Amino acid sequence: MTTISRLAVALERKPLWLIPLALGLLLMFAPYLGMDPSWTRQFMLIAIFTLVVSGVNLSFGYAGELSLGQVAIYAASAYTAGILSIHGHGLVVEMAAAVAVAAVLGFASGIPGARLAGWGLAMSSFFLVIMVPDVVALLGEWTGGYSGLAGIMPATVFGRMLEPNEFYMVVIATMLVWVAIVRNLVTSRHGKALQVLRQSPVLASSLGINVYRTKMTAYVLGAIPAGLAGALFAHVDLYLAPESFTFQLAIAFIAASVLGGSESVYGAFIGAFLLQVGPMQTAGFAEYALVAYGAFLIIGGVLLPGGAAGLARSIWARIRSYDPGPTDTQTSGVSVQPPAANASLDIDPIVGKSLRVSGLVRTFGGVRALDDVTITAEPGRVTGLIGGNGSGKTTMLNIVSGFYRPTSGAIELDGRPLGRTSPHKVARLGVARTFQTPLIPRNLTTLEVLSTARYARHYSSLLSAVLRLPGYRRQARKDRERGMTVLRVLGITHLADVQADSLPLGSRRVVEMARALVAEPAVLLLDEPASGLDGEEVEGLARVVRSIAELGTTVILVEHNFELICRVSDQVHVLEFGKLIASGTPEHIQDDPAVQRSYLGEDLEAAQETSSDEEPALELVEAGTAPNAWDAEKGPANA
Amino acid sequence: MLTLWFGISAGAVFALIAIGFNIVYIASGKLNFAQPEFLVLGMFVSYMVTSSLDWPVLASIPIALVIGAAIGVLEERIAIRPLRARAHGELVTTLGWSVVMAGTFMLIWGPEPLTVTGFGSDRMIDFAGGRTSINSIVIVVLAIVAAVGLHYWTRSTISGLANLATAEDAEAAQLRGINVRGLTIMAFASAGGLLGALGPIVGPKTYAIATLGALLVMPAFVSMAIGGYGSFIGVLLGALVVGVAQSFSGRYLGAQYANLSLFVILMAVLLLRPQGLFGMRAERTV
Repeated sequence: MTTISRLAVALERKPLWLIPLALGLLLMFAPYLGMDPSWTRQFMLIAIFTLVVSGVNLSFGYAGELSLGQVAIYAASAYTAGILSIHGHGLVVEMAAAVAVAAVLGFASGIPGARLAGWGLAMSSFFLVIMVPDVVALLGEWTGGYSGLAGIMPATVFGRMLEPNEFYMVVIATMLVWVAIVRNLVTSRHGKALQVLRQSPVLASSLGINVYRTKMTAYVLGAIPAGLAGALFAHVDLYLAPESFTFQLAIAFIAASVLGGSESVYGAFIGAFLLQVGPMQTAGFAEYALVAYGAFLIIGGVLLPGGAAGLARSIWARIRSYDPGPTDTQTSGVSVQPPAANASLDIDPIVGKSLRVSGLVRTFGGVRALDDVTITAEPGRVTGLIGGNGSGKTTMLNIVSGFYRPTSGAIELDGRPLGRTSPHKVARLGVARTFQTPLIPRNLTTLEVLSTARYARHYSSLLSAVLRLPGYRRQARKDRERGMTVLRVLGITHLADVQADSLPLGSRRVVEMARALVAEPAVLLLDEPASGLDGEEVEGLARVVRSIAELGTTVILVEHNFELICRVSDQVHVLEFGKLIASGTPEHIQDDPAVQRSYLGEDLEAAQETSSDEEPALELVEAGTAPNAWDAEKGPANA
Repeated sequence: MLTLWFGISAGAVFALIAIGFNIVYIASGKLNFAQPEFLVLGMFVSYMVTSSLDWPVLASIPIALVIGAAIGVLEERIAIRPLRARAHGELVTTLGWSVVMAGTFMLIWGPEPLTVTGFGSDRMIDFAGGRTSINSIVIVVLAIVAAVGLHYWTRSTISGLANLATAEDAEAAQLRGINVRGLTIMAFASAGGLLGALGPIVGPKTYAIATLGALLVMPAFVSMAIGGYGSFIGVLLGALVVGVAQSFSGRYLGAQYANLSLFVILMAVLLLRPQGLFGMRAERTV
């Protein structure tokens, strides 16, 4: 490490959140520090937009679904607050009611989005925006219809009417409090869980995270600031009309979110600031505004997936790891130290569960990917599963972990039938897994990656994360302790604070293994952990797999590597075209004539080359089963 | 009866846009939010050709086709290709593209509705118990021909099947020698060209308005959601349902209910049968 990077890392440990807080407080008291009054209205609108954009960030940036409905929620809340104000209620009541309305709408509009990835939410929420004028007109008796809602009173708090400067301070303070909440939320394990969810729902559910529930939570959370914003907006001009809540505004909010960085906390303010002070300000620019917003969306979507905040982050990451010479993480990151002799003392024994699969059949169209397979895996043992491409190995793992339903047959975990259980529930029953291509979320350190595996099983509430209650701190400390223990056992403590997704393949595999181990799994499913590793790394892997089994876990190892399977497994099952052709101890398997015919009889390389041509139909099935990059990545090395 | 016919002829316009959605979706697995803007583009081109250049209205069809196809290719190049495999990146970029197109129309032609010259067929005739224009009948026939034709094309030709394979799994298709990028470009070009060419035909019915695209995108999407992603016949039927539902709720409940009824339909479909009436459910992949 160089001086620069050491300085950067040291700086990161300091409470940097004090800087935005100080700036925010400065902004709050600006009217008393001689700020031009014309800026008061400007900054109020920026603060209000920051709230809405921060809501967009939560649902789009963190939960990963584009919602255009913030404007509709903002409108509904503004009208709710406005009508309450006319009936003589104070700001506190208005805000509470507006947030309630917002939460209900966020929940309702999120239902299709959570059920149906991609366009469902974008379109149904877009629809909400289109319907704003219609609904306002239909409820004309209360909303004033197209002519607008006049007669809103200036904001009152506990019966006292606020001075303009006092109202300004309330607006800025609301923004500060909300930004602090978001900051605490996204830096907590809840934030990491959302990041996992966004990048891979498959990974999230295999870690026991309920995808549907977590997404809904994010939508409701994303609606709350729009509610606050609406309540405040009603008192800015004391007048509301449907023209204030247009499709164009919805686009502007998304553009602001993308510009500032959707996956960021403070980016919302930057985006809102640019939105308010930029295009809207210069009169000549107004007619170009639409084209400019559109261009922002395209440029932001194509070039800057992280927006302004993402740009800053990647520059920071570069400074942090600045080093002209070869870095130690790059060269030695892969090496897996043999677990120390007393490793099993460091980590508590695990109570394994026996897994029994009987008569399992799975068909895809007309192809029988698995055909009457019966396998038992016992605690403390390594059960090996071997077979060529398309033999059904991965399909088997996917059925056990709940991603596929079996066509027929039974799966039992300590006597409890699985088969129809959803993936996150299977994970919570103690089944952990790794993937053929390691699934490591971006922008997380190794320790943070490990903490995501404890999220579901050692849950601490959102509230305790936001308020940083003792319960949350205890949980965070335990996450770190458990993570470090596992890293020590695997001999990779030096990777603790490194960006895990940028590690070389071998290290990412070990990080995945560590993540599975942190969850203290009763059953561990390893999907081709050795592919892409060199001889020495495979050695290390073999030792790790053995010691995990010795802790008591039931290990199921799926591999191409015949030699590795025979060395670490207690029981080996050989699959071919979905059928079990042999089962027994490694010695027994090596002598089996059917296995010898498929595996050992021919020159290995010739076997690899022909195997991919022989079974095109089945390969297609595997292509559907596994992301295809895997097939390309595996290459002929481990056929 | 007249209400029913109004619904059907509006539905035909939705169907044409939804067919454009479908062409792109089948070839690339993406949804082009900007698709309706190409129809609007065709209307403005027709307006320009007839009023500014004083050329015959028929000439506007090939011109709009070429311009629509060219802009489609441009969109693919700028807003789609750089995304590579990023999941749902096109949500933001095609939305941005549609806003740029609508904003450009606004800059060039202003916000007021412009009359698009018809083909001398605005003549009203008696049809189905009411009076209607020949133009409306032509649009309905075109929608049916396009949907049925594309349905058979995708199922009976090699290039059609290649398209289907790509929608199913682009990478697998690529590994099997299908030129996925070429298909994607072709799809953006043909959807853009088709809708561009239809602009001069639909224009006389709707007028050319810069904000029309934003109004059409929703019903067209609902048509696709009802009919099922990737099914041309399904999309046609979905669009007819949408048109008729809008027209009846607008007539008997009031104008404000037209969108509301559509929203109810969309929610019902998304919740009860998310793959649409004719779509296939994709198996979840790990």
